[in-house]
Amino acid sequence: MGDGPLNGRPLLHIDALYKEYDNPATLVLDKIGFDLFAEDFLCILGPSGCGKSTLIRCIAGFERYEGTIEIDGKGVTGPGSDRIMVFQEFNQLFPWKTVIKNIMYALKINGIKDREEARGRAELYLEKVGLIDYRDYYPHQLSGGMKQRVAIARAMALKPRIVLMDEPFAALDAMSRNQMQDELLRIKEGEGMTVLFITHNIQEAISLGNRIMVMGRKGNIRESMDNPLKKPITPASEGYSEMWRHLNQMLRDGS
Amino acid sequence: MNKKLLSQLAFIIAALLLWQLLYNMKIWPKMLFPSIPTIGKAIVEAFTKRGLPAMALHSLKLLVSGLCIGVFLAFILSSLFSINENMAAVYNMIVCMFDLIPGIALIPVAILWLGIGDEAIIFMVIHSCIWPMSRSIIDGFKAVPKIYVEVGRNFGLNGIGLISGVYLPASFERLFSGIKLGWARAWRGLISAEMVFGGSALGIGYYITDRRTNLDIAGIFATIVVIVLIGLIVEYGIFRIIEKNTVAKWGMVH
Ligand SMILES: Nc1ncnc2c1ncn2[C@@H]1O[C@H](COP(=O)(O)OP(=O)(O)OP(=O)(O)O)[C@@H](O)[C@H]1O
Ligand SMILES: [Mg+2]
Repeated sequence: MGDGPLNGRPLLHIDALYKEYDNPATLVLDKIGFDLFAEDFLCILGPSGCGKSTLIRCIAGFERYEGTIEIDGKGVTGPGSDRIMVFQEFNQLFPWKTVIKNIMYALKINGIKDREEARGRAELYLEKVGLIDYRDYYPHQLSGGMKQRVAIARAMALKPRIVLMDEPFAALDAMSRNQMQDELLRIKEGEGMTVLFITHNIQEAISLGNRIMVMGRKGNIRESMDNPLKKPITPASEGYSEMWRHLNQMLRDGS
Repeated sequence: MNKKLLSQLAFIIAALLLWQLLYNMKIWPKMLFPSIPTIGKAIVEAFTKRGLPAMALHSLKLLVSGLCIGVFLAFILSSLFSINENMAAVYNMIVCMFDLIPGIALIPVAILWLGIGDEAIIFMVIHSCIWPMSRSIIDGFKAVPKIYVEVGRNFGLNGIGLISGVYLPASFERLFSGIKLGWARAWRGLISAEMVFGGSALGIGYYITDRRTNLDIAGIFATIVVIVLIGLIVEYGIFRIIEKNTVAKWGMVH
């Protein structure tokens, strides 16, 4: 939680993270830094194109970067299953495998060679996202929201140190989105997951995060705060509108 | 599906009727334009008296051997040359160049290098399928959506694991159409080669040449029908089934 520093070393430590793309030459992240502690749920807001995806992709190990990104004190040099990404795209499941095989395959790669053990673990997490009845479906037979649930189940089944989510609900309709938010929160609490969650949506950030960060257009961090509201958070919660206005202001001003 | 099948059958029947009608109009001499019953009889004869099934089987055996070797080599070469971009450019050029050579133009080379045995026929089959297959592999791997590759790497896959776990299934549709194209070309290449030099045992291409020497026009058409039938069996009996159980099941057909 927000009192993380008491637990000692941060789970994720970022310092002076600098990233520019060569083609075309674009400065995206300008020496940013922050820490994330175990069981934190950090929501990152920011205007489109400010570098949120770039940041999360650097952490996931998909991009080269300058500066420091450490997980449990170890520098990130490439992708690894200690940091599992959940993408915005619905087609992140392998279409050639059924729902359960998608999860079992990820487990197998990560050293769970015993099929029954892998199946058991996969079923447990499908149960958690309410899709156990769909275990033998192929991804193309699922709705967008169901696919995202499977992706979340797959990420959790791998028990990564941190789950990285890049606008996983952005392409969903408002109702599924609210439902998915509730589910994610419930699962996160139950599992004690650490989550870094990117969103465009202020409501989503306030409802989900125990910490909220706002990025500015110049590859900087404009705001980094603890979320003082008590869960469950709805637009009717005390302090919600002040919070919303504050974050909205931060987003509007840009820089 | 049944409606489609009915339409297809109706087309075939109509084509046969039209043929027979043209025959009855006596526009061309019988020697050049045989009747449908005569062709039917020639087919029966080919099967019962002249040993066409054994010949067709022999041809198919050579075809399958050549296809397997060709596909295997295409994978090896495509992987070897994908080590860096310069090598890939070289292989791309090789594929373009060799793909343009009609199989029949290589027959003299095959005969001089390998003689007139089965090796020369297999050589022709390999030439027919290795280039289209390579192209499918190169294009197919290139077209694999980045997100599958990233998900795979995120799980900890790399190298061979990433190729077999992500690239192969993700590009299966293209690879498979490469195999289909390779098979169609190889089948034609094989028959041309057999028509020119036979091979060590007698194949279907030999049979058609032999019928021509005997001025047996019905026999020639009978062989053509058998060639088409084999193609239909492979398309509907094998390829469609594989497709139904892979890309169609996965929702990956476009
Ligand atoms: N591969 C790339 N090569 C060059 N520039 C890139 C590349 N990827 C992103 N950029 C640039 O980096 C900047 C940040 O992009 P990024 O995708 O991180 O933004 P974002 O905050 O995730 O935006 P959105 O909210 O729209 O998803 C943009 O200006 C974009 O044009
Ligand atoms: Mg983004």
